[in-house]
Amino acid sequence: MDDLLQEFISETQETLEALAAEVVAWETDPTDRDRLDAIFRFFHTVKGSCGFLNLPRFEKLSHAAEDVLSDIREGKRVADPATVSAVLAVMDRIGELAEAVASGAALPNENDDFLIQSLHQAAGPDGAEAPAAPVNNGRREGQQSPLRTIRLPLTLIDQLMNGVSDMVLARNELSRKLRERSDPDLDSAFERLSTCVADMRDAISKTRMQRVDRLFAAIPRMVRDLGRDLGKVIDLELEGGDVEMDREMVEMVVDPLTHIVRNSIDHGIELPAQRRAAGKPEAGHLRVAARQSGNQIVIEISDDGKGIDTSRLVAKAIGDGTLTSESAARLSEQDKVDLIFRAGLSTAEQVTAISGRGVGMDVVRANVERIGGVITLDNMPGQGLSITLRVPLTLTIIPGLIIRAGGQHFAIPRAAIVEILHDSNDTLSLSSVGGASIASIRGVRHSMIDLEDVLGLHKPDHAGPRTIMVVRSSSGIPFAMGVTAVENHEELVIRPASPPIMAAGVYAGMTLPDNGQPMLLLDAGGLSNAARLPNVIDDSAAREADEAVAAEAEIQTVGALRFIEITGEERLLKLSLIERVEDIDAAQFGASGGRGFVRVEGRLLPVANAHHRFEGEMVTSLRLRDGENEAYYPVARVIDIVQMPSVPDMLLSRGPVCGIAVVDGAHLEVVDAFALFASLPAEAIEEKSAGRCILADADDIWAQEILAPLLRHAGHDVVFGIPAGEAMHPDDIVLTTRADSDVETVPKGQPVVRLRSARGPGSKKDKSIYRYDRDALMAAIEAARQGRAA
Amino acid sequence: MNELYLFAHVAGTAIAVKSTEIEAVVKVTEISPVPGMPVHIAGLSALRSRVLTMVDIGALIHGRKTSSDSWPLAIVADISGHSYGLMVDSVSDICTVPGGALPLRGQLDAAWAPYAQAIVENEGNPYLLVSLAGFIEPRQLSVAA
Repeated sequence: MDDLLQEFISETQETLEALAAEVVAWETDPTDRDRLDAIFRFFHTVKGSCGFLNLPRFEKLSHAAEDVLSDIREGKRVADPATVSAVLAVMDRIGELAEAVASGAALPNENDDFLIQSLHQAAGPDGAEAPAAPVNNGRREGQQSPLRTIRLPLTLIDQLMNGVSDMVLARNELSRKLRERSDPDLDSAFERLSTCVADMRDAISKTRMQRVDRLFAAIPRMVRDLGRDLGKVIDLELEGGDVEMDREMVEMVVDPLTHIVRNSIDHGIELPAQRRAAGKPEAGHLRVAARQSGNQIVIEISDDGKGIDTSRLVAKAIGDGTLTSESAARLSEQDKVDLIFRAGLSTAEQVTAISGRGVGMDVVRANVERIGGVITLDNMPGQGLSITLRVPLTLTIIPGLIIRAGGQHFAIPRAAIVEILHDSNDTLSLSSVGGASIASIRGVRHSMIDLEDVLGLHKPDHAGPRTIMVVRSSSGIPFAMGVTAVENHEELVIRPASPPIMAAGVYAGMTLPDNGQPMLLLDAGGLSNAARLPNVIDDSAAREADEAVAAEAEIQTVGALRFIEITGEERLLKLSLIERVEDIDAAQFGASGGRGFVRVEGRLLPVANAHHRFEGEMVTSLRLRDGENEAYYPVARVIDIVQMPSVPDMLLSRGPVCGIAVVDGAHLEVVDAFALFASLPAEAIEEKSAGRCILADADDIWAQEILAPLLRHAGHDVVFGIPAGEAMHPDDIVLTTRADSDVETVPKGQPVVRLRSARGPGSKKDKSIYRYDRDALMAAIEAARQGRAA
Repeated sequence: MNELYLFAHVAGTAIAVKSTEIEAVVKVTEISPVPGMPVHIAGLSALRSRVLTMVDIGALIHGRKTSSDSWPLAIVADISGHSYGLMVDSVSDICTVPGGALPLRGQLDAAWAPYAQAIVENEGNPYLLVSLAGFIEPRQLSVAA
């Protein structure tokens, strides 16, 4: 019985969530039979199940709602806004009751009769209420064919996840062992296993994914209710509900998103009369769109309201004493807009019940940044405001840097790092006063700490420069941190650390890299607290003025192509290196000797990133040229041409990536063009793996019938007769059967292999080879060629 | 009352742990130190894909770090969702005790007082019954006591 009840409750709650949007959509189009049927079915199901489960209040409520809806179905009533409100109220009450049953609390004892009465009375023919604006949530299609699903406890999925992680570790160990003995058969079988494990890991992590729809489900209802309360007409557009993100992430984004939508309706979109006066359509337009971009989810909330009044923001900040009027004069427009993120600031003239609950944009930003996200504003005064949230796809995988300090390794989220430089850098000067260390970087002074000091580690003597990182925690101000070295950057699977470790306050979690040595993830804000750094912003305006001078010389941007690698990372490559982007038949790609190549226009060109097997038929490739050499760079997809700083915002010197550039708020890896071309084979790939063999005696029957096939069989190109007037390739080898062959026709320096018909050598000096001695012949050709190469 | 107990020695004391609290007993191979920790948190150790927080019970009792050669074994336990390895000197036996837990007698060393719950007798020898969770969250236990 308990199981049944549990099932009923969770099913009811889920349907309620999904249905809230449907009811609102139905209100705008009461003739929509499909939606009406869906709502009717819900009440019918609730009524049926609760009779059986002995839940009389559920039964009474759903019965009443069902009655009204069935009247509407039969055309006896119209679905006016009052009816819809009443139906929504009944749904809310059912939700409350379900919640109470689920948590085992006492049922809330409001009087249901009042609700039921209003349900019946709502049918009054007054219809004076303004019709709600249409809600276009664009997910009509496919409503009738739900996906086949089952319910699983989350713990089971976590178990699976752990199992797969174990498998990956076992695989890595096996791979190490296999490398010691190379057996191609075993290797290929192992390769297959590896692919399976990787696929499985992907699939399992997808089970944690949830459609953004769930995030959107509550919005139409909220927009409708708020719009009615405030007398505003709002045209809502939801887009990208099918984008998927980690379910925990969904939970974390709900609050910020709700807050932004509330703000937008309350403060952004004007009353119909004001809108008309401003020459805008009466119905305000609110658009919430989600899309995936690399390993981020971008959620954009834009309205066509009045935007943020920056002058009022500034006035308020000055009034609060948080800003002096002279520094205000130096603020850029964007700085002014960003003031909204300061605690306690809002442009709202009066605090309203809707958004004035003491929760400001500062909290929204803190929440978004806590999950590794970024929030940006695009303010068009009078025209509207667009807020962009960028959050990582999952909570558990973040890009991080591996750093070494005090002989130990630590990880730190990449988003927290502003800049990395060596302490030998000219732009940096270190000083200390009264025990405090200060790092001045291009005239900006930062508090300076050494990670070893904060963690109480012994600072080892280390030859060579130490690395200074400028770290910015989500809330605090940037500070400089010295470490022994930055080792690497990778995608880290983060898991929570146990409470005793978290209690230290400087760790954010832990990760287990492939080497099986647990590693701790540092918390930037925690480090700054632990080091008791002053959390005072020095006059930011003056500082920015300083920076602007330095920046003028420094920030030069270059065009770059933003693309997605076949392995999924989003990267940048300098545009000037790219000759063009081509779609090439996947069959033209191949590999030899561990290098990839592609056949284009009858030539073989190297493939810069060693990919040579592809899933689709056509492969998008970048054709690169450094002036002389050409190479192809297969990619999954080209996104856009963007401007990136000519020097990446953060420099790394490892692998194929030379740094990280921030473009549109996203951290993108910049492909190292130098390393790219340096890794290419020095010579152009020759299609013939061996040079040509030139048979000097073209008329000789033996040469034609016996030698030529033998050479061809061994993979050599055979040419009859010394080509006249054509320059010979240095690798070409001349073979001649005549001991006293007319050497004059052979160009000087060209290797010559002489063959003789006698078994024994004619004289001591005779270096010719017996013509049926196949091994000696092949060896001689090889030797002659290598003699050339040497 | 036929509960299974694990009998072990740690910090010179014989202890008993309810088997329901224990996931496994493993040999500790390598511990990565964690800077900035109280003395009884020895560090992290990887057990397959799990990461154990290693607790040095000896340090908890005596306030001194146990030297690293004498950590042969760790009791693996899952305590409020996190995996811990509690380091013990030796493990002697695992068996049922017909009598079950007996009340504490005598003056208990103050160092053990927050952790000891009762006495369990095995083959005529007394063992201190401890709860592994108590080592991780000792304050909660003392509040309850």
